[in-house]
Amino acid sequence: MNMAIEAKSLTKTFGSVRALTEGRLRVAEGEIHALLGANGCGKSTLSKIIAGTHAPSSGSLRINGQEVSFASPRAAEDAGVALFYQELSLIPQLSVEANIFLGREPRTAVGAIDRKAMRAMAQKLIDRFGEAVGPGLRPEARVSDLQPGERQIVEILKVYAKNPRIVIMDEATAALDSRQVAVFFDFLREKRGEGVSTVFISHRLAEVFAICDRITVMRNGETVAEMTVADTTQEEVVRMMVGDIHRPQKRAAKTGTATPIFEVRNITGARFHDVSLSLAPGEILGLGGLQGQGQSALLRGLFGITPLTAGTLHLEGRACRMRRPAQAMAEGLAYVSGDRVSDSVLQGRSIYENLLAALVMREGKLWLSPRQMAPRLSAEAASLKTKYAQLSDAINTLSGGNQQKVFIARWLATQPRILLLDDPTKGIDLGAKADLFALIRDLADKGVGIILYSSEESELLDNCDRIAVFNGGAVVTELSGATLDSFHLTRAAFGES
Amino acid sequence: MRALLKMERPAWLLAAAALVVLVVINGLVQKGFFAPMVLQSNLTTFLPLVLVAIGQTYVILAGDIDLSVGAVAALVNVITVSVMAALGGSAGAIAAGMAAGILVAVACGLLNGLLIAVLRLQPMVTTFGTGIIFSALALWVLPQAGLVVPDAYWSTYGGAILDVPTVLWILLLAGLFVFVLARLPFQSWLKAVGGNRSGAFQSGLPLTGIRIKAFVLSAIFAGLAALCLTGETATGDPLMGQSLGMGSISAVALGGTLLSGGVGGAMGSILGALLLGMIGNVIYFAGLPYEYQTLVQGLIVLAALAGGVVLARR
Repeated sequence: MNMAIEAKSLTKTFGSVRALTEGRLRVAEGEIHALLGANGCGKSTLSKIIAGTHAPSSGSLRINGQEVSFASPRAAEDAGVALFYQELSLIPQLSVEANIFLGREPRTAVGAIDRKAMRAMAQKLIDRFGEAVGPGLRPEARVSDLQPGERQIVEILKVYAKNPRIVIMDEATAALDSRQVAVFFDFLREKRGEGVSTVFISHRLAEVFAICDRITVMRNGETVAEMTVADTTQEEVVRMMVGDIHRPQKRAAKTGTATPIFEVRNITGARFHDVSLSLAPGEILGLGGLQGQGQSALLRGLFGITPLTAGTLHLEGRACRMRRPAQAMAEGLAYVSGDRVSDSVLQGRSIYENLLAALVMREGKLWLSPRQMAPRLSAEAASLKTKYAQLSDAINTLSGGNQQKVFIARWLATQPRILLLDDPTKGIDLGAKADLFALIRDLADKGVGIILYSSEESELLDNCDRIAVFNGGAVVTELSGATLDSFHLTRAAFGES
Repeated sequence: MRALLKMERPAWLLAAAALVVLVVINGLVQKGFFAPMVLQSNLTTFLPLVLVAIGQTYVILAGDIDLSVGAVAALVNVITVSVMAALGGSAGAIAAGMAAGILVAVACGLLNGLLIAVLRLQPMVTTFGTGIIFSALALWVLPQAGLVVPDAYWSTYGGAILDVPTVLWILLLAGLFVFVLARLPFQSWLKAVGGNRSGAFQSGLPLTGIRIKAFVLSAIFAGLAALCLTGETATGDPLMGQSLGMGSISAVALGGTLLSGGVGGAMGSILGALLLGMIGNVIYFAGLPYEYQTLVQGLIVLAALAGGVVLARR
């Protein structure tokens, strides 16, 4: 059997972070091969190396038997490797046909775009999806007028318009409905018949078992197993992804006897739907699952940053609405984003001003005396063990971890009753993480309700009383007590409740 | 009505309709508007802005903006006139002057493109800055308005070739260029770069090259506009064309091209530029004071932009 992809001992380090320590992948010609693993296992790094987006730090990569080292995505494409981008590569203002053939338009003898040929070729590709798409998906339609599922199909067609021999489908089914998925799978099988190899990455384990021939499992930057779908079970795959089952040291879990401080019933918004949760005072509720399954979107919706389109919110039994962050703040909510650069930092301003940002809104006064405010704010910063020389220093003089402590202290200064944490430890050092979680537990003991989303499983397992696991924008299951371990968390993250 | 708005239609249709209305009004207020001589003289007045607006369109489609076009026109004008004067005004001198002017324009466009696409400087600030430099260079080359252009040059420009006025030839050729470019992949790529830059990059488009080419095109069209202005005024003037920058952006917007990039085309900009000229005409011949011309132009551009936003929010 000819090998389309043979990756051996690939490694990749970003600065001091080792994202990939032992990347191994063998995909035969005309095979649909699943690449599975939990968050941060290295699967996207590995696929980006194969697609030419990243250069490996060391190791060997063979494509169709040829040793290669791609300088750019274009070089990989020239070798027949195409990567599916989750909607990111479409130009919304251009037509479907212009998008599918962007940069490789069919030309007439004089060099103009051969519109007739382009339309016919686009129509032929669209016809492959037949009745699974609406009448709106025409070659001349603008991409911005399409439904999300149809856009994703255009992105898929764009990949195949390059006539690739190897395709990396990273979450290509995320926005498709079940009928579209079925047609897509028929299409993949047909391509398999033509000898095209597919690397299939999905957050739905059921899909993997429906379409794939073999599976490679990764964990902590390493390839840990290679198996044939026919010879394995979903249980076994999950066990391989998890490794040793992590049983967290439980803190004295709060039991749900008290009336909930915050209740969310059947809410829907951008990227999540029909979510119901309840939070007891002093409880730490985790949001788990693979990245981008609606957890961050939910937190932003709860804080009034993005609108909710359906459902109700109840604070201590009283119905309420959060249309704007200011309203959410007035109700005693606080939201800490993990994206410091775009959401939190007041660039070039002092630590004092950065600490004050939320409080100044909460107090709603035109003038806050620095003499009164400074001690309060420095006390909040000290509770997190924030290290800084003077409050008047610029925020950029602090390390990432210390900056994040400042932004958390900013919100603690408003004395919230409910704290929403959106992957708050992204890119901060271990010491700062430990300080942060000590404080979170402390706050919970004082009765603050906490909803924590983290892309790191161990943070959820170690700190949460319950975990609601997300898949495709909905809660698959809630884990608590005996099911609160890494095995159940990973299994649920892949859609198996 | 909703169905009509939803229909696929070129964005410049609005400008075309407005232009027809203005032509009718103009025909009423201006005696002999449709006389060939009057039409030719009007076209001579409008042509520089038409050309600059065409070039500006390509920059704006790619999501950038070029504020330096007026200064490029002034620099090209003084270079062309100086070279013609230095070489003595023969046919060869005229050709050399025109070639020197266009070469300088290409150099200006390259500089803008390199600073913005390679060094990733902000386009608005960069072209504002380079515009000041180009103006200063123009003043350095020719500190005061003056120098006479060879008779053959301006008489050809003001005359006719094969019984068709030269200015109409230029307009037709410019229209042909726009028509051809709209059919090449390049224009699609410009829209892609202006519509979703990271998407265009992931699709393998050479972003840097595309943006540089747009700036060079814009500068070349500013240079061509300068050659027209030179034929019209028959003199060198380092302060020439100062209103071309804002005027061209207004014309592009009026022509249905989104200033945020990604949507539009140069055919609309031609109509937009003619529209701006006609507005000036109508105000003048209706006997309104000159000051109203700018005011009304401003209001119309604002209305066109607001209309675009309202349509987009639908």
